[in-house]
Parts: sequence; C-alpha cells; structure tokens
Amino acid sequence: MRIICCRFGNKFTQWHVDNLKHMIDEYSGLKYDSFEVIEDDLYGNWFNKFQMYDKFRDGENLYFDLDMVIYDKLPNLVRKDFTLLDDTWWRAPAHTPLNSSIVSWTGDVSYIWDKFREQDDFYVDTYTKGSDEWYYKFIDYKTYDKVCPSIKDYMYNKPPQFSICTLGQMQHIMEEGWTGWYSDYFLN
Amino acid sequence: MLKICTVYFDGFYTPDYVERLHDSLRKHSSIDFEFVCLSDTDVKADVVLPYNHNSNIVKHWHKLKFFSPQFAYQNPGDDIIIMDIDQLIVNNIDELLGHPVSDNELVTYGQWWENKLGINGGFYKFKSGSLKFVWDDFAINPEYWQLHFYDNGTVHKKYYGEQNYVKLKVLEHKAKLTKTPSQWIAKYTDDYAENLNLNKMYMQKFDTDFMILDKEVNEKLKVVHFTGVGRKINADYLL
Repeated sequence: MRIICCRFGNKFTQWHVDNLKHMIDEYSGLKYDSFEVIEDDLYGNWFNKFQMYDKFRDGENLYFDLDMVIYDKLPNLVRKDFTLLDDTWWRAPAHTPLNSSIVSWTGDVSYIWDKFREQDDFYVDTYTKGSDEWYYKFIDYKTYDKVCPSIKDYMYNKPPQFSICTLGQMQHIMEEGWTGWYSDYFLN
Repeated sequence: MLKICTVYFDGFYTPDYVERLHDSLRKHSSIDFEFVCLSDTDVKADVVLPYNHNSNIVKHWHKLKFFSPQFAYQNPGDDIIIMDIDQLIVNNIDELLGHPVSDNELVTYGQWWENKLGINGGFYKFKSGSLKFVWDDFAINPEYWQLHFYDNGTVHKKYYGEQNYVKLKVLEHKAKLTKTPSQWIAKYTDDYAENLNLNKMYMQKFDTDFMILDKEVNEKLKVVHFTGVGRKINADYLL
C-alpha cells in the first residue's frame, strides 16, 4: 500500500510532510510500503494533486492532505473504487459536497488525469474554489462514511468517536505558539 | 500571570517600535508581566512567536489570536493585554496594567477625542479565554471578516475594521465593555498645529494646563498613542 501526500509553494514546508508521516507512523496503525510526496508545482494550486493519478497506476493508494491531525488508529480507508470525503454532514452546503483531504483507489485511475489534462488551463481558470468541484462535475466517485470531521467543531475537546480531523481554516494551529489537545500529536 | 501581547510585521513600522514600547512598559511599571510579540523578525520581547506571511490572516488581524486561550501559552486565570505598538508609556502604568477585569469583560481605553465606535484597539484587557468567541468566530471565516467592514462601507481602507469586529462580537455575546479613565491617554501626532489643538482639547476637557509641552507630559497621562492612519512615533518626542 502506498501513502501519498503533496507539497508545493510556500504554504506548507518539509515539517508538514514530516509531521504527516509522524502521525501516520505513531498513531494511525497503518502499514504501508512506500510514502510518496508529490512536489512538482505544475499549476501553482491544488490541481497539482492530480499528478498522483498519473504517477501511481497500480496497487492500493491512500492520499492525505498535510493539514490534518491523526490521533488514533484509523479505520480501513483503502478503497477499490475511487473514493473521497463527503463533507455535507458537518458543514453548510457549498459549491461541492466533496473534500479530497483523503482519497483512495486501487489500480489505475489515470483517466482522471487524462480528463483533466484535456483542458487543464480552462479547468484551472474555471474552478477557482478548488479541485473538489471538478471531481463533483466530471468524475464518478464513491464517498467515505463519516470518518473525518473538521476540527473547527472540536477545538477544545478531542472527538473520541473519530481518529482523524481535517484542519481546514484552522491550519494555523500547526504554527508555533498554539497549544491544544491536537498539539500532543504533532511532530515537535 | 499578566501577558502583554503585541504584533509586529514588516511594513509601516520598524522593530524599534516594539523595543520602545517594551522598554517604556518596564520602566514605568512595578507589575510583573511577560511581553509577547507575534513578529516576522527578531524583536525585543520575552516571547517571540512567528508571524506567518503565507496565512489567510493578514496584518493587524493577527492580534485576534490572543483572544484564543490556546495561543501564546496562556494558562487559565491569566490576564491578557493586547497593545498596539504605536504607543509610549510616559508615567507609572500600574493602575492600567492592574486594572480589574472579570470573566466576560473587555477593558479598553476611554478616550476624550471623537470615537463613535466606543472601543479602542490600542488596548484590550481580558481574562484568558473568557472572550474566546472573538477568535473562534473569526477563525471560521477570516477572509470574510477581514473585508466585511470595508465591503459594507463602515471603513474606507481595505483590511481595516478589526476594532469594529471586536465591538460587534462583544455586543453579540453580551460581554461587558469597560473603559479606562480617558485622562490617562494622549493622542499625539507629528503635526505641530494638530498637537496644539489636541493640547487645547485636553486642557478644556480636564481643566488642566497642558497635555504635552515640549518633552514634559501631564502628570495624569500614562500613555501616548500616536493614533491615525499613517502616523508614526516621532523619535524626538518624549524620549
């Protein structure tokens, strides 16, 4: 099984990559064969993630965004079919119900990359709120059950019924000076 | 523990503003405190925390982080003061730093010049965490709040409105707003004519002989605030 993440630009640093690996190794219980980092900045934004569908065309794949906190054993997140998060259970309706903070597939889904590359400039200019809207409009997908809430609803108390939270707008809590239940799980 | 919290970023001011505020606070206070600065460079402070230029939070809006009990190593029961760095302490400030404050209360400067808003972002004092809603509500959608008061015409410069936001949240959450005696603070500028007028206003308001006369300050004054967009502390004054 392959773990994948993506780092580009100034927003995230090597610490964020190391921190994800730290949380996976220490708390998730995941066993994996390789930890892959996509760093080619082709588009200057979140569409860079799509390179993983071109690069990794076999086996089990599990992608994580870097702005997550993993604090307990994860449920089995590896999927055969292309699967990502549905956020509608914890947030107000938006331009897309989807969230690609966690993505999984097995085998070859390079058709996603091919579809995107057909008109990549147009898509990048059109879907300016993020690539998740693009999935929603162009790709068949499955979604996870309720496995990953937003930390915005749990800033002061760790949710025991889950093992991972997306930080979303709260990614500042990864910066020096913030201390909360989540700090115990980040890489020092 | 009393924490005095400030923000510095490269742009209009220089790091010596932080040093000047720090030194004048130490000089004119017998109350122990920890001086914290959220800064993008090395500054004179007990604790320096990193200012992130790649954040979706911009400029002085970073001040709001100190309303979170999870920031700047706050402990329950701490008294938190947030100060702008365009100020000088000119007389003993124990009454201001030690001003009583309760849970769900915000202490801010009372001021004698026009202030329709009724709050002064140059000084906030509160109990750690008791006003955490100020940060928590903001953090859910910083992009919206940072432009909200510009977009609705309340302020006329982009990214202004932090004081308006704090006032709105204090009202929304029914927190108590307390003002310090307005005689404690001076407004001062680098414009001679304007300073004459400010002196005149202060004299009339408080029936006194002067506010600031050359390098002499009124004995009732504690803080000189170089307020207003584009106003800098003139190093020749009051030092």
